[in-house]
Amino acid sequence: MSALIEIITSDYGIHLGILICIYLILAQSLNLTFGLGRLFNLAHIASCAIGAYATALLSTEFNYNFFICLLASMVISGIFAVALGVISLRLKTDYFAIGTLAFSSVVGAVLINWREVTRGVLGIPGIPRPEISGIDFYQNINFLGLSLVLMLLVQVFFYFIQKGRFGRSLRALAEYEEAAMSLGRNTARIRNISFFISSVAAGMAGSLLAYYLNYIDPSSFSLTEMVFVLTIVIVGRPGSFWGMFAATLFIILLPESLRFLDISSSYLGQARQFLNAGILFLVVYWKRNSLFPEQRQV
Amino acid sequence: MFTLLPQLLINSLITGSIYALSAAGLALTFGVLRILNFAHGHIMMVGAYVYLFFLTRIESGLFLSALGSICFMSLLGVIFLKIFISPFSKSTLLPFVTTVALGAIIESIVSLIFGVNVQSFSSSYATESYEVAGIFITPIQILIIVSALILLFALGYVFHRTSLGLKIRAVAENASAAQALGISRRGIVTGAFIFSTVLAAYAGILVGYETNLQPTMGGAFSIKAFAAMVLGGLGNIWGTIAGAYILGLVENLSIGLDFWGYSLPSGYKDAFAFVIILIVLLLRPQGLFGSKGRAA
Repeated sequence: MSALIEIITSDYGIHLGILICIYLILAQSLNLTFGLGRLFNLAHIASCAIGAYATALLSTEFNYNFFICLLASMVISGIFAVALGVISLRLKTDYFAIGTLAFSSVVGAVLINWREVTRGVLGIPGIPRPEISGIDFYQNINFLGLSLVLMLLVQVFFYFIQKGRFGRSLRALAEYEEAAMSLGRNTARIRNISFFISSVAAGMAGSLLAYYLNYIDPSSFSLTEMVFVLTIVIVGRPGSFWGMFAATLFIILLPESLRFLDISSSYLGQARQFLNAGILFLVVYWKRNSLFPEQRQV
Repeated sequence: MFTLLPQLLINSLITGSIYALSAAGLALTFGVLRILNFAHGHIMMVGAYVYLFFLTRIESGLFLSALGSICFMSLLGVIFLKIFISPFSKSTLLPFVTTVALGAIIESIVSLIFGVNVQSFSSSYATESYEVAGIFITPIQILIIVSALILLFALGYVFHRTSLGLKIRAVAENASAAQALGISRRGIVTGAFIFSTVLAAYAGILVGYETNLQPTMGGAFSIKAFAAMVLGGLGNIWGTIAGAYILGLVENLSIGLDFWGYSLPSGYKDAFAFVIILIVLLLRPQGLFGSKGRAA
C-alpha cells in the first residue's frame, strides 16, 4: 500500500495523473458525438491540435495569460467545428467519417507546411506554464491540481449535458432519427451543437496539453493519436458516462506496464501502437453485435 | 508559366497511374462488400516491404521476389478479410473502425521488423532517365504508366466482357438476388479482396522504386485512394480510376505551375487530396461521375 502511494506521489505518478486528466476531457467530449450521437468523428484530434497551436502561438508570440489562451483555444476550435459541421454534418456514417478524416489531414498538412507560423515539423518550443495569482504552475504537482479542477468542471458539464434533455434528444436521433423528428426535435441543430460542444472541449484539452508539454509538434496530433482516443471511447462503451473514466485509466496505464518489461525504448512507441490497435480490434470484435446497431428504419 | 507543362503532364500521368492502381482495388472492395477499407494504403506499404524482404534478405531475383510477394500477399489478403472484415460486414461503420485498427497494427509490425527509417529499392538501371523532346522519364516511370494501362484495361475487360465480371457486378448490385441465382457471394468477395490486395501491393512496389518506402506512408495513400473514390463516386470503379488521374493532375499542376510569380510549397501537394474530398462532399456528394451512385 505504501508502495502504491509512493508511485502515485512520485514525479512519474503526477505525470500520468496529468495525462489522465487531459485524455479524460478528450474522451468524454468525443463520447458526446461518437458515443451518444453515433457520429464517426475523426476530426476530434484536429480540434485538439487547433486548440494546442492557438495556445502555443498566443502564449509565446503575444505573451497572453492563461485564461485568455485557454478561452481563445476553445473559441477557435469551436469556430472550426462550425465550419466543418456545415460541410460534413449533412453526410451519413461512412461519408461523415471520410469528411472528418480529410479535415484532420488538412489541419495536419497545414501545421507541417505553414512554416512561417507553425515552424513545421520542428514544432513550437518554450510554451510557458501559467502563473495564476502567485501560484506557480511550473511545478507539476500544482499543474496536476489545475488539470484536475478543469477536468472535473468539464466532466460535471458533460454529465448534465448527457443526462439532460439535450443528451436524450441526441441519443434518440442517433437511434431513430425519424422518431426524434416527429417529436419536434430539430435533429440537424442538435447534431451541430453536439459537434460544437465536443470540439470546444477538445480545444481546451489541446490548450492544457500545450501548457503541460511546453512544446508541441504536428506528430502529437496524428491519426495514431486519434486512434488512441477512439480506443478509449470504444473500450469505455460509447455513450456511457462513467465508462470513460475506467477506460481512460485502463488505456493510459496499460501501455505504461511495457516500461517495466524488457523492451528497448526505441521499440516502445510501436509496441504501444500495436497494443492499442489490438485492444481496439478485440473490443470491437467482442461487442460487434451490440456496438453501433444500424439506425431503425421507418 | 507553361514551359514546364509537358513535364508536369507526364508527372501527373505517373502519379495518377499509381493512385489508379491502388484506388481501383479499393473501389472494387467497396463495390462487392460495401465497406471502406482504411487499411488499403497500409496493404500497399506491406506489399512493398514484403517485396523488399524477398529482394534483400532472401536475395531471390526480381522475378521470384515478385512471385513470392504475390503469393504471400494473397495469403495475407485472405487473413485480413476473414479476421478484420468479414465478421463485421453487416454494419457500415464497424469495418471502418476495424480496418483503422488493422492499419495501425500493420504499421507497428512493419516498423518493428524493418525499422522506421526510409528505404528504397536501389536500382541503377531503373533511375537513369531518358530525355525525349525536353521531357525526362525513367524506365521505371514508363513501366508505371504502361503497366497501369494494361492492368486497368484487363480489369475493364474482365469486368464487362466475361461471365466472372457479370457475377462480380451482380454481387455489387444486389448481393442477395445474386446469391438466389446461385452465385457464391463469399467466393466473389474473397476473390475481389485478394485481387485488390495484390494490386495494392504492386502499386506499393512501384512507389518503392519511384520514390521510397516508410512504414508510416500507408495512411496518406489510404486517404488518397479515398479521395479518388469520393471524386469518382463511391463504388463506381471507372469514376474512381478517372478520379485517381484527376488527383494526380491536380497535385502536380498545383505545385508545378506558378501563378503570377507565386507557387505553392511542394509540401502542400499532399493536402490537395484532402481538400478535394471536402469540396466534393460539399458540392457533389455523389461524385463527379455518379448519378445513380448512393446519395451521401
